[in-house]
Amino acid sequence: MTPLGRFVLATLCGLVLAGIVHVATVLAIPYLATGDAFARSRATLANDTSVLVHAAGTVGPAEPAPPPASSGQPAPGQPAPAPEGWLPRQDPAVAVGICAYDLDDGPVRITAETGPLLETIALHGRNGAYYAITDQAALRGTVELVIMTKRQFDEALATADEDERNRDVRIIAPSREGFVSVRVLAALPSQQAQANEAARSVSCTIDGPDE
Amino acid sequence: MLTETVAPPASGRAASPAPRPGPRPLPRLLRGAVRLRRGGRGGGTVVLVLYALALGAGLGLASANWATRGRYPFGGIALNAWTAWPKIGSRDADPYVRAIHARTGEVPLALGEGLLLTAITDDAGRRLDPSCRYRIAGATPPARAWTLTVERGRHATPVEPQAGTAPPPLRAGFTSTEVLRDRDGRFAMALSPDVQPGNWLPMPEGEGSIRLVLRLYDTPVAASTGVLEREGVPSITREDCP
Repeated sequence: MTPLGRFVLATLCGLVLAGIVHVATVLAIPYLATGDAFARSRATLANDTSVLVHAAGTVGPAEPAPPPASSGQPAPGQPAPAPEGWLPRQDPAVAVGICAYDLDDGPVRITAETGPLLETIALHGRNGAYYAITDQAALRGTVELVIMTKRQFDEALATADEDERNRDVRIIAPSREGFVSVRVLAALPSQQAQANEAARSVSCTIDGPDE
Repeated sequence: MLTETVAPPASGRAASPAPRPGPRPLPRLLRGAVRLRRGGRGGGTVVLVLYALALGAGLGLASANWATRGRYPFGGIALNAWTAWPKIGSRDADPYVRAIHARTGEVPLALGEGLLLTAITDDAGRRLDPSCRYRIAGATPPARAWTLTVERGRHATPVEPQAGTAPPPLRAGFTSTEVLRDRDGRFAMALSPDVQPGNWLPMPEGEGSIRLVLRLYDTPVAASTGVLEREGVPSITREDCP
C-alpha cells in the first residue's frame, strides 16, 4: 500500500472512531453529570417542602445571594431561603420549586394548595419527566399525588379495604429516585411574591404505612 | 506525512495482506503494535495508529461538546419562524436533549405542563438582529396562559443587584395577562431597542444572538402540534433597520 493510502486509511479509521466516541460521550453525559437537575435536587431530599430554585421576576439566573426583596415577605428574624439559582434561564414570570424524593422509605405524598395562579406539577425521573398535572385537577383547592413504586402499588392494592374508596391519585414511578418540579405563573408582577410562596410551599412527605 | 519516510516494509510482511487492501485496519494495527514491541521497526504504522486514535478522540469529544452545548440540535417542529419542542420534557426525549439537560441543569417543561417554542429568525428567515425593530403579532395560541420572552446570548448576563436606587431591570417578556390586545383579542408587540407605544418589548442588551421564547402553559397543543398549525403562531416581521 502506498504511503498516501495508509494515511487515508488511518484518517478513515480516525473518523469512524470519532463517531463512536461522539455517540458514547453523548450517551454517557447524563450518567456522569454532577450539575444536572437530578443531582442538584438531591440536596433537598431531607426537606418536607419544596425549595424555590427560580423566583418569579428574576430575568437571568439568580445571583448567589439575591436580595429578599423579590422573594416574598420573609418573617422577621427568619429570612426566606434564597433561590439557589443553578437553573439556566427560565421564564421570568414563573417561580420554580423543586422537591426530591426517594421511594425507599415508602410512597411519597405530594400535596399542593392551589391558589388563583396557574400551577403545574411535574414528576421527573432520571430519564426525564414522566408525569405532569396542572391545578385544574385540584379537588377543593388541593392537588394530591402519591408516588410509589410498582411494588408499593401492588401492596397498597392488596391491603386495601374494599369498602373504602381510595381517592388518591397514585402514580407509579419508573425508578426509586426522582424529583418533583412545581411551576407557578405570576401573570402580573404583583403576583410574584404569591407565586414564589406557592412554589415554596408544596409539601412532599413520606406517606405513613397506614394510609 | 513525515511518517512514510521511516516505514520500511518488514521482511515477513510482504506476502501477507496483499490480496485484500480494503478497509481491514485492525490486523494491520495489531501487527503494527506487535512490531513496535519487537524492536521499533515500522514506526510509521505506530505513528499512523496514534494519529487515528488522536483524530478519533479529538473529533469525537469536540463534536459531542459542540452538539450538547445548549441548543437542541434536532427534534423540533418548524412552524413559520418558530420551532416547537414537544418532546424535550417527555420520556422519549432524544439523547442529545438529555445530555443538554444534564449539562445545563435544566428542568424541562413536561409534556402535560406546556410547550416550548423558540424563534431565532423572522418570518422571512433572516436572523433576528439586535438593532432592528420587529413586530410580533397574531392570535393567541390555544393555552390557558402563555408568556413570550426575549433572550440574548447563550449564557445569560447576570442580573445587576437591585439596590434601592438602581433602576428596575427592563421588561424581558409579556404574559398573556399583561399584553394589550385589540378588539378581536389579537395582540401586536414591538421588539425594538427604542421605546415604542403599545406593547414594547425592549431589545435586551449584551452580547450574542437574539432568541424569542414562547411558552404555552396548560395547553392542548402539547399533545398534537397540528392544533398549532391550524390556529397559527405569532408572526415575526422586520419593520425597519438602521
